[in-house]
Amino acid sequence: MKINSNLSSAARRKFLGKLGLAATCTAAVAGAGTLGLAGAVAAKTESPPQGGSFPTKDYDWTKHQWAFGVDATKCIGCLRCVEACKNENHVPGNAHQFRTWVERYVYIEGEHRARIDSHQDPVNIKASGSEKEYRFADRYKDLKVEKAFFVPKLCNQCTHPACVQVCPVGATYKTEDGVVLVDEKRCIGCRYCVQACPYGARYFDEERGVPDKCTWCYHRITKGMQPACVEACPVGARIFGDMRNRESPVSLFVRNNRVQVLRPESGNGPNVFYVGIDKEVS
Amino acid sequence: MPKHVVRLLSLLAAALVLAVVAKWVFTPESFGRFGHFRANSVSEIAALEPVYQTASYCQGCHSERHAQWSASNHKSVTCETCHGPAKGHPQNGKLPIPADTARLCSLCHQATAGRPPTQPQVQVAEHSAGQQCAVCHNPHSPKIAAAAATVTGNIAAGKQRAESCASCHGADGISPNETWPSLAGQSASYLVKIMAAYKSGDQKDVMMTPLAKELTDADIQNLAAYYASLPCRSAGAGTGGGNAAAGKAVAKNCASCHGETGIATNRAWPLVAGQTPGYLVNVLKAFRAGLRKDPMMAGVSRGLSDADIANLAAYYAGQSCRPDNQGKAKP
Repeated sequence: MKINSNLSSAARRKFLGKLGLAATCTAAVAGAGTLGLAGAVAAKTESPPQGGSFPTKDYDWTKHQWAFGVDATKCIGCLRCVEACKNENHVPGNAHQFRTWVERYVYIEGEHRARIDSHQDPVNIKASGSEKEYRFADRYKDLKVEKAFFVPKLCNQCTHPACVQVCPVGATYKTEDGVVLVDEKRCIGCRYCVQACPYGARYFDEERGVPDKCTWCYHRITKGMQPACVEACPVGARIFGDMRNRESPVSLFVRNNRVQVLRPESGNGPNVFYVGIDKEVS
Repeated sequence: MPKHVVRLLSLLAAALVLAVVAKWVFTPESFGRFGHFRANSVSEIAALEPVYQTASYCQGCHSERHAQWSASNHKSVTCETCHGPAKGHPQNGKLPIPADTARLCSLCHQATAGRPPTQPQVQVAEHSAGQQCAVCHNPHSPKIAAAAATVTGNIAAGKQRAESCASCHGADGISPNETWPSLAGQSASYLVKIMAAYKSGDQKDVMMTPLAKELTDADIQNLAAYYASLPCRSAGAGTGGGNAAAGKAVAKNCASCHGETGIATNRAWPLVAGQTPGYLVNVLKAFRAGLRKDPMMAGVSRGLSDADIANLAAYYAGQSCRPDNQGKAKP
C-alpha cells in the first residue's frame, strides 16, 4: 500500500511536472502569437489624428450636449419639417418611412378619445395626391371639434437608449454629445432596435438593409448649423440647441417653460422636451 | 508527455491563435476607441454634406429678394421651404418656382382643425375663387401693403404748379382726350405714389418721366392735394366698344382693392371709376405687357383677354366717380 502510494505519488509528481512544462510551452507559443497580434491590432485601431478633436477637426463632441424642444402650441401641421427631413437625409420618398412626423390630436364633441392621424393616414395621403407629398386634410370641417392640436415627433436621443442596449453588434450607440447614431456598415439588419424603441422612432430601410432614425442632423449640427426640420419650421415650433450653453434656444426653452417628456416611465431618459401637449400624447 | 496530451494541447493552442486572429480580422478599425462601437462611423456621419443650405447662402446672389423677404412676415419661411434644397444650385441648374401657389400656400394657410388661431388661415377655395395666391400676394412679402401715404400739400400752391400740367390733364383736371388720365378727384395718396414713381424712375413714360424729374417732393404733395380736391367727372361707357355688363362680372376679381364700382376703400389704390374707357384699356394692356410695373397688377392682368379689358374699361368708365354717392367709401 505504502509502496504503491509512493509509486503513485512519484508518478503524479512526474506527470504534473510534465503538464506544467507543456502548459508553459503552450502559453509561450500562444503568448508570443498574441503579443505579436496584439501589436498588430493596436496598430490597426489607431485612428488617423484629427487635430485633437473628435469627430471632425473643427468640432469637439466633449464640448456639447444637444437637446431638442417642441412647442406644440405653435405647430400648424404644415409638414415642412417632414419634407425637409426627407430631402436632407435621403429618406425613402413614401408615406410610411420617416425620421420625423407630426401627429394631430382631435377631440370631437361627445367622443371620449382623441382621434389621431398623421401624414401616413390614407385620408391625408389622398388629400396630398401622392405618397411623396405630405399634407393634413381638412377632414374635420363638418364635425364639432372641441380641441385639436399638432404634435411633432422625432427620435428622443435618450440618455439610456433601449435601442443601443439591444444591439448585438455595437452598430448603434450614444455619442458623447448626446445623439444616438446608427453605423450602417456595422449593422446586421436584425431590427431588434426597431422593436426596442418605445417611441417608434426607427424605421427599417429594406433597400439598404439597415434601420434608420433621426440623428438631429448630426452632419449639420457638427458644422454649426440647425437640423433641417428646425430650419424649415415656419413657426418656431421646433427648438434646438446646446444645453451646455445657458443662452442657447433650447436652454432658454427648457428654463422658461414647464416642459415634459414623452413616456417618462419607460426609463429611457428622453431628451426632446415638449410644451403644450395633452394627457393622451405619449 | 503522452502523445495524446500533446495533441490536445496543441489543438487548444491552435484554436486560441485562430480565435485571436479572427477577432483581429473581424474587429473593424477604431472599434472600441470610445465604447462598444466603431469610432470612425461618427466621423463618417459628421462628414455628410448638408442638403439645405440656409437663407444666407441664397442671399449671396439673390440679395434683393432676400432683403424683401427678410423684411416681410414670411421671414420665418426659409427660401428652401418653397424652392427646395439648394445643394447643387446654381451649378446643377435652377431651383423650381412653384407654379401652383394655391396648393403650396394652402399647406400652411388652409383653415384646418388643429392650427392655432394665431396662424393666418382661410378657406382657400372661397378666398381665392380658384385664382392662384401669387396673383394678389407676393410670396416674398405676402401682406398686401397698402398703407396710404398721408398728403399734407397745399391746394393753392398745387394749383399754381398745375398750370404746366393743364395742357394734357385739363385745366380742371379732366383730360380732354382718352390718351391721358383725368386727375380730378383722384386719391391724393395714389397721386403722391405715382408721381414719386415717375420721379424715381420706377415708373416710366415718355411724357411724364422728364416732367416728374423736375418736381420737388413739396411739388408732388401740393399737386396731389390740388387734384384730389377737384370735382371728378365720369366719362361714361360710350366710346370703348366694351360690354359693361360683362365687365361687371370680370370686375369682381378687382373689387377687393378697387371697390365694387371702381372706388377703392383704401386710398393707396387709385380711383378707376369714371376714367375714359380708352385710357383704361391702354393702362390694362400696359400692365399685361409688363410696360407698367406693379407686381399686383402684373398678376391680375396676365389672365385678361382683349375682350375682358374692353369690357372692364366700359364698366368702370360708366361708374360714378363720386364716393359721396356710394356713402361707404372711406376717405
